[in-house]
Amino acid sequence: MGLNYYHIKKNILRARRLVIKSTSIAGSGHPGGSFSMAEIMGCLFYKFLKFDPSNPSWEDRDRLVLSKGHASPGLFSNMAVAGYIPESELETLRKFGSRLQGHPDLKCPGVEFCGGSLGTGLSYSIGVALAAKMDNKDHHIYTIIGDGESNEGQIWEAAMTASKYKLDNLTAFLDRNFIQQDSYTEKVMPLDEELRDDNISEMWKDASRWKTGDKWRSFGWNVIEIDGHRIEQIDLAITKAIAAKGIPTIIISRTIKGKSIEHMEDNPEWHGKAPNPEMVPLINLELDSQFMIAPSIIAGDMTNLENEVKRCVHGRADYIHLDVMDGQFVPAKTFDYNKIKELRSLTVIPFDSHLMISEPVKHVKDYVEAGSDIITVHAEVCDESSFGEINDLLKQSQVSVGLAINPDTDLPEWSYKFLPTLDQLIVMSVFPGKSGQKYITETHEKMNKLKSILKDHKFTGYIEADGGINLENIGSCFEDGARAFVGGSAIIGQPDVREAIREFRNQVLKTRRKTLIKKAHQLGGSDLVHKWIGLHVVGKKKEQITKIAQEEGFI
Amino acid sequence: MKPPEMSDMRTEYAKTLIEIGRENPKVVVLGADTTDSLKTSVFGKEFPNRFFNVGIAEANLVSISAGLAASGKVSFASTYAIFLPGRAVDQIRNGIAYPSPPGKKGLNVKLVVSHGGLTVGPDGGSHQQIEDIAIMRAIPNFRVFIPADTIAVSKLIRLMANEYGPFYMRMARSKTPIIHSESQEFQIGKGITLRDGSDCTIAACGITVRMALEAAETLQQEGISCRVLDLFSIKPIDGDLLEKAARETGCIVTSEEHNIFGGMGSAVAESVSERHPVPIKRIGAQDMFGESARDNEVPLLLEKHGITSFNMVKQVKEIRSKKI
Repeated sequence: MGLNYYHIKKNILRARRLVIKSTSIAGSGHPGGSFSMAEIMGCLFYKFLKFDPSNPSWEDRDRLVLSKGHASPGLFSNMAVAGYIPESELETLRKFGSRLQGHPDLKCPGVEFCGGSLGTGLSYSIGVALAAKMDNKDHHIYTIIGDGESNEGQIWEAAMTASKYKLDNLTAFLDRNFIQQDSYTEKVMPLDEELRDDNISEMWKDASRWKTGDKWRSFGWNVIEIDGHRIEQIDLAITKAIAAKGIPTIIISRTIKGKSIEHMEDNPEWHGKAPNPEMVPLINLELDSQFMIAPSIIAGDMTNLENEVKRCVHGRADYIHLDVMDGQFVPAKTFDYNKIKELRSLTVIPFDSHLMISEPVKHVKDYVEAGSDIITVHAEVCDESSFGEINDLLKQSQVSVGLAINPDTDLPEWSYKFLPTLDQLIVMSVFPGKSGQKYITETHEKMNKLKSILKDHKFTGYIEADGGINLENIGSCFEDGARAFVGGSAIIGQPDVREAIREFRNQVLKTRRKTLIKKAHQLGGSDLVHKWIGLHVVGKKKEQITKIAQEEGFI
Repeated sequence: MKPPEMSDMRTEYAKTLIEIGRENPKVVVLGADTTDSLKTSVFGKEFPNRFFNVGIAEANLVSISAGLAASGKVSFASTYAIFLPGRAVDQIRNGIAYPSPPGKKGLNVKLVVSHGGLTVGPDGGSHQQIEDIAIMRAIPNFRVFIPADTIAVSKLIRLMANEYGPFYMRMARSKTPIIHSESQEFQIGKGITLRDGSDCTIAACGITVRMALEAAETLQQEGISCRVLDLFSIKPIDGDLLEKAARETGCIVTSEEHNIFGGMGSAVAESVSERHPVPIKRIGAQDMFGESARDNEVPLLLEKHGITSFNMVKQVKEIRSKKI
């Protein structure tokens, strides 16, 4: 089974938009903590949790206990996406008479726990887990606690108790975002070590300062530490947690409060404040502008692809692009599923297998079994029937579905019916076959033409720019609508992959900031531009964005 | 009055738990390192998988009970009175009383405590819970009992086990005299008239019921006819019975081992003043804490707070002159 990567990602995005919508309408609420746990929620709701929205009290359902109940918009929005409640109901958040109370409440069907009074949810979960054991039920209990919440002594009472009763049907997540209501957690009450200045990335960088895992280990828990925004890491952690026998598991998830929105990220102000409605269109645009960098390893040493994968891992690639060439569809030959199978054990980073092969319908199953998370096939070698077959197989296997077109190919009409559920579209900007080619500038024009077709056919997937992408053209590819970027020689061909990826990201970020300022100017002139910039109080963001706004002549 | 037969509430509680545990596999029992004292450990011997000692962690005790109840169990959580309402009121309020599954009010948790009131004795004022009734009465969805004897304990535990929802029941530390007959019925919100009378009413609960009966006997000898009520159900309180007593006897003395603010006396005053106001005198801790008293000195401690049948007699005589 694949990760179901894009499916989870798209639903997380929908949920984030609903958090913004509901809190901005309500005029209060907690977006910061809703966003830090968004990926955890996404993996639970769209991959692991067993539930039935039409029968919320189904006895064998898994239980999700949101102990850090102030992040209720993050719970309610996912419950809407998952089908428990209509999305429109989110507009009633915190309103008199609503089922969506300020903190999670049994008034809303599907909510397991009245959270909000911090520190109590883990004990409650122990009760639920004990009952499941008593009744010989095999459902699992997932509990999300906060790091500020861990100041509460009851968390540690519960930590001892779950260990005493060997509750392997209980998995806790610590949403370790380093921020609580007053300030940074390490200033208010250090869980790891006291913070020396206001730079919390200092805590991230230095693993020797992380003490939280040791605390939980010493309480007798199975401790897994992950980056709580990486779906593949959450996925693996949950899989391991479920497999652990005779011991409760805590997944310590290092997260970023307000993740996805620059001005909210790592900003204590956004613990419990709703966005101003006039900023909502900008925030939504920013949410729609999340992007990913995928190095293509064939640009490296073909005799040691293992090492290229390791360089991607070290470089913190979002996923790894694997160009499969068969010597028929394209003149060159690279590797096939056997190689992918070998590489799979090296990392959990998603594998984005781009099949440049003839008759992909005959082989796609092998690539699923080899461990691909995203599989893209070429339109030139598919028709409605064969792509339909591929599409069905991939969806069943929880592998994301991609379709690619060559520079001289238009999106075929037969593909339109698949667009609403298509996960990824690769618009090739070089002729596939070899690495190191120059970006074909006509691609911009092609992308513009594609926009209306994609819109008309309700495409909600990601466009991946592939072919000759470098620091010069990546910004314009972003402006064309691409959100995933394959980097060949410009990343893998560089001595320092990590630095190359960082530069790619910074370049896209810069373009994104420009796009957002442009939008602000369009909506509310320089007044709104100033307000927008003024929100970016953490780090050097404000001066960087101001500079862009000045360069573009908006202020 | 002949010397009463004495009986231990905690022993009766544990015995009843085992009986209902045999009848209903959903019954679970939780404790917090006081399970030998509360005698619930014997339940654990018979049903090791349905018994949980969570250590000296009362907040944890309450929240775990709530989780079990939310999964269909009937949770009985027990420790000393001072450590439940006194310590874990947030977990009780937000974890048991507030969460209401569709069509229900609160979760199915029964908090049964021992060592209520001043008769805790030697452990001192820090351990004499005289505010629990006020705390628990103020929390929506909770029902609050104080049994007068072991017959009441047994019947009320059975009643709670069969009735969905949160209950709080406070037992006494020391052995208590048998008041009721085995055939006595107990209903939620219904007081019991133990002795009829026309000149005054004494409303009592827990250990003061026996004192009230003794006071009524003394008053009888002086030609004063005194009605005695056992108001074991403090919430809901029996408004009908109290209105009747107010109409027919014209004045009420209440007596309890609790602060006079917010306890049974307050509940009586609230009800009577709305339905048929008559003079009321509340006997109880006069807004001050208890203190250590060795077992044989407990009567002195109670006397200091006026919780005696002697004071009841005195107060009845005084209040009769204030009748409207």
